[in-house]
Amino acid sequence: MTIIEKIFFRASGKRVKPNEYIWIKLDLVAMRDFGGPNVVQEFKENFGDMPVFDNKKVAITFDLHIPPRDEKVARNQQVLRQFAREKGIRLFDVNTGVGQHILLENGLVKPWDVVVGTDSHMNLLGAIGAAGFGMGTTDIAGALYKGKLWFKVPHTIKIVVNGILKYPITAKDVILYILKNLTTSGALNRAIEFCGETIRMMNLSERITMASMVTEMSGDVGFIEPDETVFEFLRSHNVENIEPISADENAEYERVYEFDITNLRPQIACPHSPDNVVDVAEVAGRKIDQVFIGSCTNGRFEDLKIAAKILEGKRVNENVRLIIVPATHEVAQQAEEAGLYRIFLQSGAVVVNPGCALCTTGHPGILAPGEVMISTSNRNFIGKLGKGGEVYLASPATAAASAVRGMITSPMEFWS
Amino acid sequence: MESHNSGIKNPVFRGRAWCFGDDIDTDQIYPGKYLPLTDKVEMAKHAMEGTDRGEEFLKHVQPGDIIVAGKNFGCGSSREHAAIAIKGAGINLVIAESFARIFHRNCVNTALITLELKEAKEINDGDILEVNVDTGEVNNLTQGKRYKAAPLSELEKEIINAGGLLKYLKSAG
Repeated sequence: MTIIEKIFFRASGKRVKPNEYIWIKLDLVAMRDFGGPNVVQEFKENFGDMPVFDNKKVAITFDLHIPPRDEKVARNQQVLRQFAREKGIRLFDVNTGVGQHILLENGLVKPWDVVVGTDSHMNLLGAIGAAGFGMGTTDIAGALYKGKLWFKVPHTIKIVVNGILKYPITAKDVILYILKNLTTSGALNRAIEFCGETIRMMNLSERITMASMVTEMSGDVGFIEPDETVFEFLRSHNVENIEPISADENAEYERVYEFDITNLRPQIACPHSPDNVVDVAEVAGRKIDQVFIGSCTNGRFEDLKIAAKILEGKRVNENVRLIIVPATHEVAQQAEEAGLYRIFLQSGAVVVNPGCALCTTGHPGILAPGEVMISTSNRNFIGKLGKGGEVYLASPATAAASAVRGMITSPMEFWS
Repeated sequence: MESHNSGIKNPVFRGRAWCFGDDIDTDQIYPGKYLPLTDKVEMAKHAMEGTDRGEEFLKHVQPGDIIVAGKNFGCGSSREHAAIAIKGAGINLVIAESFARIFHRNCVNTALITLELKEAKEINDGDILEVNVDTGEVNNLTQGKRYKAAPLSELEKEIINAGGLLKYLKSAG
């Protein structure tokens, strides 16, 4: 059995095959300031004042429009705070950060868990061996009521990555390179298992980067077999009863891909598709207006550290706005303690409170028509960050190097 | 459940095709700036707005029209607004080569019917289609061609017949 087949086997109590429809018990149901208010509305319309299935297994995170930018958003957040109080649900308010990362840092997710939430990047929880699924509001309202949901068992694709990652080549370059090869529909309705020496040597932050961008391949979830790297993180975040999970030797994969990243150069996804990927060198020199370092894909402490390494002692180009957003409060604290804030502020960067930040319009930092941004986020869909704006996706190293030069720049230039 | 033969109730749809390409993402179907909306009537005013023919669509869409698209329709965000807005615009059926997982779930859960049709791209904009969503028969009356779409699963049919996931869960007790 593959990892997803094992998780679904345990959760449903019966052996499952790809394409089967089954009902699965949920270990955690999450919603956030976006989608959450619609969930509450659906829940109340359909189930009135009924309690949720298990208030210990529900979490609300505020990560998108924080603090609220207008009355509508403020009212939405108020609805969630009231619902949380009514039902006894744990709520992480505007001072915490990106939902999935908050769930991890608060010890709410462990390997084998099935987690659903109102965010398409819930699947980054695969980085610790949990099955995270992004869902719409009806699903989440149903999950709150019943504690289980229907699933179609996905086929699994195995992606083997070998070769040693050498700074300034990062996990983001690896996943962009894989995305280029698989394309945005390459893992449509599939689970992925990442393995190989490159993956084994990755820290949790890098694994999160890998797993998060399975969404951009249209995959359901991307797993990395948890090992001591993950167990140590979980133990240090008060998770008990951690059970390892791995695929069987004879697990059936629909497809297997092998990549050798030994000679990989920095990668960048050009507008307007995450799979429109080329070597940074091919587009180097293009003028940019803004740089965003953060997001659920690249907002961990290690990501900020990579950016700081390049920014230290330098100034952001006068024609560029650099916006840096730690994924969570915990990351922000780590960054502050490590002296990164001083580096960022001295470089002229704008440092924003933890959260999703520039992943939708509506957040400060939207582009004007014709403006170009490099983002460490995961999507560069047309119009996503403002009509007429163009977004390139790259690693924190490439983003920081480009912010300093004022144009798309390979971080190799800052590495002798 | 009342689905005595597991068939879709009132399975025949007849309407005019609105054609879109591959990888139409949820930001195109429902731009991010409208995410704070919770009113379904308001959401419907923005269906397909971010696509290159959004303005035309919103001006001329008629109840009963059918959206036809290429592969990976609805990729991107988990926003259910995308499915709700399409349905609110009077569309009851979306035909595509393939659908993104979350969007597909959102459609089933809100009883908006989706059919996967390999030959979706052979359909032209404005073609009149007659579709039996129960059998998967797609009859292009304009071109005189017939196709067979992938059938819906039993579970999908039950949820759609119940009027969506929440009604299904309630009636299932």
